[in-house]
Amino acid sequence: MLAEGALAAGCRFFAGYPITPASEVYEVMMRELPILGGLALSAPDEISSLCYCVGASLRGLKAMTATSGPGWALMIETAQYALMTETPVVVALVQRLGPSTGGATQGAQGDVWLAEFSTSGGYTLPVFSPSNAAECFELAVHAFNWSERLRTPILLLSDKEVGMTSEVVDDEALRIPALVNRKMATAKADYAPYAAQEPECVPAFAAVGGEIKATVTGSAHDTQGRLRKNSPQVISVLERLQRKIEAHAEEIERVRPDLDPGARCLLISYGVTARAARQAVGKLRSEGMRISFLHIQSLFPIPRKWLDRAVAGAEAVFVAEENLTGQYRAALTPYLSGKRIYGINRVGALISPSEIARAVQGVRA
Amino acid sequence: MTPEALYLSPTAKLPYCRGCGHSLVVRQLSRALERLGLPPRSVVLTTDIGCVGLADSLFPYLHTVHTTHGRSTAFATGMALADAILEPQGLKPIVMIGDGGATIGLLHLVHAAQLNVDITVLVHNNFLFGMTGGQHSALSPLNWITATTPYGNWTPPLDLLSLLRTAHATFLARQLATSQELESTIADALNFPGFSVVEIVELCTAYGTRWNQVSGASLEEIVRRQGYALGEVQIEMERPTFRDLYRHGMESPRPKRAKPAVPRLNTLARLADEIRLVIAGTAGERVQSAAALFCRAALAAGLYSTQKNDNPVTQGSGFSLSEICLSPKPIEYTGMESPDVVLVVSEDGWVELEANGTVAACGEETLLLLDSQIEATPTRGCVIRLPLRREANPKRAALSAIAAWLEKNPLLPTEAWEAVLALEPTERRAESAAALEIGRRLACGGGAL
Repeated sequence: MLAEGALAAGCRFFAGYPITPASEVYEVMMRELPILGGLALSAPDEISSLCYCVGASLRGLKAMTATSGPGWALMIETAQYALMTETPVVVALVQRLGPSTGGATQGAQGDVWLAEFSTSGGYTLPVFSPSNAAECFELAVHAFNWSERLRTPILLLSDKEVGMTSEVVDDEALRIPALVNRKMATAKADYAPYAAQEPECVPAFAAVGGEIKATVTGSAHDTQGRLRKNSPQVISVLERLQRKIEAHAEEIERVRPDLDPGARCLLISYGVTARAARQAVGKLRSEGMRISFLHIQSLFPIPRKWLDRAVAGAEAVFVAEENLTGQYRAALTPYLSGKRIYGINRVGALISPSEIARAVQGVRA
Repeated sequence: MTPEALYLSPTAKLPYCRGCGHSLVVRQLSRALERLGLPPRSVVLTTDIGCVGLADSLFPYLHTVHTTHGRSTAFATGMALADAILEPQGLKPIVMIGDGGATIGLLHLVHAAQLNVDITVLVHNNFLFGMTGGQHSALSPLNWITATTPYGNWTPPLDLLSLLRTAHATFLARQLATSQELESTIADALNFPGFSVVEIVELCTAYGTRWNQVSGASLEEIVRRQGYALGEVQIEMERPTFRDLYRHGMESPRPKRAKPAVPRLNTLARLADEIRLVIAGTAGERVQSAAALFCRAALAAGLYSTQKNDNPVTQGSGFSLSEICLSPKPIEYTGMESPDVVLVVSEDGWVELEANGTVAACGEETLLLLDSQIEATPTRGCVIRLPLRREANPKRAALSAIAAWLEKNPLLPTEAWEAVLALEPTERRAESAAALEIGRRLACGGGAL
């Protein structure tokens, strides 16, 4: 469904390299893209995969690759290049158990930090995390839309349990957002490839091979794309790279809130664990407990608007995720001051609804 | 504007050290472009890291892409691939890369050669990493003194062109930066329809000539000593380019995008609450496909389902299992805290369920339907044994087991099976129908299912 979502979003270029549990996306794209007039290709490694995608995007196509943690580790250099050159591209990162080769067929939510904190300079990479097949489709379209609008790499953080579980999808109920395409440069005379107007903060795009000269560089540059050292304009371009994400943070937010204004407990989850969390909330409520639930689909930038709303009345905040160290909990903690924060974590298997319910009840008792 | 001003201005101030081969290359490249009359907007100059990466700013009318170390070839390949499906076509990527970049990005060169994408790569081979302080590269000659081979290089240099020849490269040339023929060689490479490489041998005057007794005049001697030929060493006109291959490939009839259309029946399943099943057996015995067929039948009867498969990494040996959840409502948690039903059709399947904790997770309410040949005795749950493997073909045993359980727990209407069997390939349909029938028959004689 992630691949189907990408196709619906207008993806017309895919380069991939086999890796469990992301190979399904690769296979669907190899089969389906040529039929739509697109191009799907087997790359000789993950570095090439993402380089080919970025090259194709520079030529003007919407492009995606799919990988897992070990492959993403190899792609980070090129993802940073896409960020610096403001080249739209989508990377589907289907997580598996790490570190290293880890467990290829075991699910995990252990790549949150590796996904988000992968740029020198700490720039925000927008990350969407689907919890089921329908969300794979919908969030793939959102990922492409934001990648195009912001001209930046976007991650779709899925995992083995979401990507390799067959499930029924009611395709009539899918909410397919309107498609967004990158804003193209029109003025020929004074086009500056890295100059952008406030408040959108995103420069117009000139495709390589088009009528307007494209100047692309991953080195620190001014608004004309010239390599410069010690130029205030270079700093302002770098600042804008982050500002363009922050300026749209509220619009990027995607959550599935289930809030009880009178509840003192808030449960937060994402990805596959959000499914168990939703079931746990139903169980706890049926036993008379008042609890709010925030299922976050857009992990980064942190959805501050909904987070603030959800934590407003809460005294205790639980974050359930399938990793040992509470990666997303740590990212949320700066925004949860004054709250008691508890992690519900495990690795190697899905966190079950009863495990979550027990953890919440344990603290309450 | 004169044609030459479209490329490199004759008065352009070049940023390179005095005597550096890079200056010669950019001038000859400009002349070659001029000779071919390539429209500037049809060319993209893709530069690598190093002094060579300063070249893009010298060509103000070409598209320019300054990339990461060694990856310039891969980015250019991506642009060329995309160009192959766009109209109008005709983008000409030129890659300017050093010997260091060609080494770290060697696989990109190899793959571009295999694909035969229409890009031209100019490898500036000055036998070392210049910008970073004169370290040796994989193309440094034997005994070459560099910052990192102070006693001389003792690893034999890669013969880049021979290597790329084995990757089916179609146009390979080697020239000295000082050669009068460099311009025409670059023009031939640019004009060549397919992957072309020109290795340009030059000297780094900051480091190469500082530590080694060489000058521009000794370049040819260095090349000869390595046994390398000069000039256009390989031209293969017959190989189709990626663009031709792609067009040819797309001429064949395009398959229609088929969606698995499971019909929705009027007769609905009788299931009030979620039910969780594990089906386990031996790899290659269609355990997972039986489970998938079951889920499709459930879908036809209006149920939601999730199916998760597992097998050893080798795929075709050992166990094979599927975990299924069926529900009248959308399913949230897909795990298996305690299974309601466990169907095991072989010893491999049983061993895995013991290993992965499923057996231990069974409760008193769990129904375990085991093939009669499985020797183990479960300590919890209601155990039924049926001679599935004996009566059915082992490759049909999983489907028979499902049918046997359903016979006594009739949650699906028979129309559901008929509907999904109709979607099966003809040769499978009869087999599957027979397997279902065997299961039903065994169940009728099989006690408290």
